Amino acid sequence: MKEMMTVDARELSCPEPVIRAKKALEMNSNILVIVDNVMALENVKRLGSKVGCVIEVDHREDGTYRIHLSKGDGIGPIIGKDDDLICENKPIPVRSGPFVIVFPENRMGRGSDELGEVLIRTFIHTLPLQETKPDTIIFYNSGVKLTVKDAVVLDDLKTLAEAGVEMLVCGTCVNYYDIAKDVAVGTISNMYDIAGIMSRSGRLVMP
Amino acid sequence: MARETYWVALFKSVSYALMAEKVLKKEGIPFKLIPVPKEISADCGVCLRFTADARETILQVLSGRVEIAHIRPLE
Repeated sequence: MKEMMTVDARELSCPEPVIRAKKALEMNSNILVIVDNVMALENVKRLGSKVGCVIEVDHREDGTYRIHLSKGDGIGPIIGKDDDLICENKPIPVRSGPFVIVFPENRMGRGSDELGEVLIRTFIHTLPLQETKPDTIIFYNSGVKLTVKDAVVLDDLKTLAEAGVEMLVCGTCVNYYDIAKDVAVGTISNMYDIAGIMSRSGRLVMP
Repeated sequence: MARETYWVALFKSVSYALMAEKVLKKEGIPFKLIPVPKEISADCGVCLRFTADARETILQVLSGRVEIAHIRPLE
């Protein structure tokens, strides 16, 4: 039996442990990787199963994991991307563009309509209290009913509008529901603007 | 001007809150249905918020119709 190679990956930050384990596996069919956190453990285990290794894990009392990976002969370069690594500290790619909230309905979620109407009221109530307010709010289909003069959420929407939140109300929709004259907040808009803002958005939330 | 003092009424369930809402609406008492503030309960519930001066009226109109589980001023 070939001598086992040991990779001490303690105190290394992700994705270093799995990179070292991978290099070691390319040269040896039998390796021991020592890591000190679950994330590294999971990443190394995933690497092992990807290349068909037998995996044995020994969780030591000192909080370290000893992962034994063994594979049959004929180890060559390991092909495949590292895109399935889970690194908590991997920065989430930040997309630039406006933060948009879309209300496609006058209620929140599927199931009970009555409950959905309660939920949307409470959701909109909390929006002016958020540190990060949306740049734009879009209303379409029955969502436009949230903007009419007797809508219970109107005060909250007005507060948001006063705070500088742009509001686009689908013109086709207010026409369809025949409520154009009742819209009390926001700008009647069209699908060019609505689709344009949705396409450019960095973050789009649809409750 | 001092900030308005609000009170909240909590109910045993969402259905009770909705029943109370109907009564208050019919009576023309101003209120707002809001999520139960986190400092009161971590539950995802709803409650009715109203101004301090509406408290007595609300207690009266709901009395015998909808049971209030808890009524308290909002911090």
